[in-house]
Amino acid sequence: MIYLDNSATTRTLDIAADTAAQYMKADFFNPAAAYSAAVEVERNINSARARLANAIHAQSDEIIYTSGGTESNNTAIFGALRARRGGGRIIVGATEHPSVYEAAMSMKGQYVINEARVDKTGAYDVNMLAQSIANDVASVSVMQVNNETGAINDIPAIYKAVKQRAPMAIMHVDGVQGFLKVPFDARYCDMYSISGHKFHAPKGVGALYVKRGTRFAGGQIGGGQERNLRSGTTNTPGIMGMDAAIGYYAENIDNIRQRLMNMKLRLASNLTSISDTFINGPAPELGAPHILNVSFLGVRGEVLLHALEEKGIYVSTGSACSAHKKGKNRILNAMGVVGDRQEGAIRFSLSMFNTIEEMDIAAEEIAAQLAFLRRFKRR
Amino acid sequence: MEQVLLIRYDEIHLKGLNRPFFERKLIEGIKHSLSGLNATVHKEQGRIFVYGIAAEDRDEAVDRLTRVFGVHSISPAVGVEKDWNTIVAAARDITEKAIGSREKATFKCFCRRSDKGFFMNSEEINRELGHEMLEAFPNLSVDIREPEIKLCVEIREMAFIYAQEIMGAGGMPTGTAGLATLLISGGIDSPVAGYMMARRGLELTAVHFYSYPYTSERARDKVVDLAKIVSRYSGPIKLHLVPFTEIQLAIYEKCPPKETTVLMRRLMMKIAQLWAEKDGARALITGEALGQVASQTLESLCVTDDAVTMPVFRPLIGFDKNDIVAIAKKIDTFNTSILPYEDCCTVFVPQHPVTKPEVQKMRESEALVDFSEMIQRAIENTETVTAI
Repeated sequence: MIYLDNSATTRTLDIAADTAAQYMKADFFNPAAAYSAAVEVERNINSARARLANAIHAQSDEIIYTSGGTESNNTAIFGALRARRGGGRIIVGATEHPSVYEAAMSMKGQYVINEARVDKTGAYDVNMLAQSIANDVASVSVMQVNNETGAINDIPAIYKAVKQRAPMAIMHVDGVQGFLKVPFDARYCDMYSISGHKFHAPKGVGALYVKRGTRFAGGQIGGGQERNLRSGTTNTPGIMGMDAAIGYYAENIDNIRQRLMNMKLRLASNLTSISDTFINGPAPELGAPHILNVSFLGVRGEVLLHALEEKGIYVSTGSACSAHKKGKNRILNAMGVVGDRQEGAIRFSLSMFNTIEEMDIAAEEIAAQLAFLRRFKRR
Repeated sequence: MEQVLLIRYDEIHLKGLNRPFFERKLIEGIKHSLSGLNATVHKEQGRIFVYGIAAEDRDEAVDRLTRVFGVHSISPAVGVEKDWNTIVAAARDITEKAIGSREKATFKCFCRRSDKGFFMNSEEINRELGHEMLEAFPNLSVDIREPEIKLCVEIREMAFIYAQEIMGAGGMPTGTAGLATLLISGGIDSPVAGYMMARRGLELTAVHFYSYPYTSERARDKVVDLAKIVSRYSGPIKLHLVPFTEIQLAIYEKCPPKETTVLMRRLMMKIAQLWAEKDGARALITGEALGQVASQTLESLCVTDDAVTMPVFRPLIGFDKNDIVAIAKKIDTFNTSILPYEDCCTVFVPQHPVTKPEVQKMRESEALVDFSEMIQRAIENTETVTAI
């Protein structure tokens, strides 16, 4: 199997899975309990918290554990808005993940929602974004890395613009695709979301960074965990599994990022040698090291996906064969990738488990399938 | 006191000498649908009585019975001793439930008496019972023309009292009409067509064509789910999933583009007939309705029919789309049918399909390719599952 859909989800690292199992079967105690076995678990959670904070230049007490990227994104938006009164404007990126975009849109009525436009690589036009910010902006929500194309946004520049023009506004960054793949300093935002299963941790766990001093009403209400900001019994297996994954990644981070970029460049070069094939997004060397989006004209993305799947190669497409969804990929539309180019768009997303050889094998198979499938066009 | 379900059938009464066969099949169908509920089923005097079902299972039993073909209507009843006071008490309970939370209601008594030894005749029973109910329920009044509540009493070996008539699925009992093969796609129409023919007593097998990689796993699963839903009414359906890619590509490569859809349909019908013959089915069923799409014009249907020798049943031929959707919603296939997984890739849908194809011309186009080995391979590589 050649798995090239790591932006959808990743295989859990053995050490992460084993650690999670340990906290299910051996150290299963509720860290809120009074006996020392539980206190030991709590200590470990706190060490994990510190390690995570460190990875983004933050402090332990600025980290809240959640059930994943969607909860982190929802909580960031709703938690910030619930802490303030009145209306105003919300700026949300046009290419944001539904857990950000739909959350922002659901506040229509109380707030005016502005979409921040992207250029054709999928990155935010910082000047345009800056110009649209004024004192009535309550929150700004942008992604660190575009999940379809790998475009990296200039978060420090956006942060500066926000703080200059709307100092009371909350800037939230969705780091789900970017965390660990692309360096990040949490000092350039007020909130930052991450999701464990995108970096070889188990599914169902993530975190939200909330800068000290941010006016934030919190998420789930209940027993008071996470400093009363997100109640719910601590997901010790998920958190410790995620910690093990972060630890593994952090130990080898430069190496991993370099390998990802090498593989990506190899794949890009292999694929662009096929006719009628175009890269969507930034130049490969400028984007996130693990995401490559390519349009193959003359085929439907989902048909190619199934043809590759039969050969053991798994990818993702921005163009599902769903009868109701033709041409309706919001992210690709916002980038101007439309028509045949959207129809034939395939996203390749890599991980540390991929190899350079796989980039050659995959490209060869794609070329073969294309030669066959391109013979059949609607007429 | 006994809880009883009284089941009525109607068209079977017309069956003359064959009536016992139909009744037997109906009772089989009823017993099968009530399995696990401890039911005892008796036929008596043109109706079917079901005893033995626990009170908490009654609603479930009635629900299942509404899906048994051949059942016209169901009345949940109580059976009591033929003692006047007992009868009145039971009638009071039933009437109270029937009134429910309404402020007022109208009613009328209907009595049938087959025990001629009973001390009152039907007229007297109607009158006296009516009187008792009016006393017991001041908000009740009589309407002899269109009563809201029909309080029915039947005096037989016991007295049966009921006020509800729940409509069943109608039709003829499953297994009384033979076996037919349904061409099923993931669309709204074909599951409805299968239901409608099963309702006339046919047992079903089904054939579905898929074209990997042009169609997805999910489209296949959707069809299996649809067959399972229809099987709730029709009984188990043997479903043949036929790989069609090779044939589809051959048509694309060798035959005129405008004719792609019509030629595909001919090949599908031929393969369906082959499967029907293997299964012992004697007719094909499709969800075609006249004029709905280009392949369903009068001329196109003639071309499709020409491909096979078996009768082709098209129960939806005269229906509007709205009518079909209404039935699909009633039998609960609609929400599954509208799940967006294509079962024919748009690559193979001609931009300008022929709308008035001629039989002779289509036969010639089809003859441009020798499909016989491909058809063999399609049959050999068919996956068969049972939808239940």
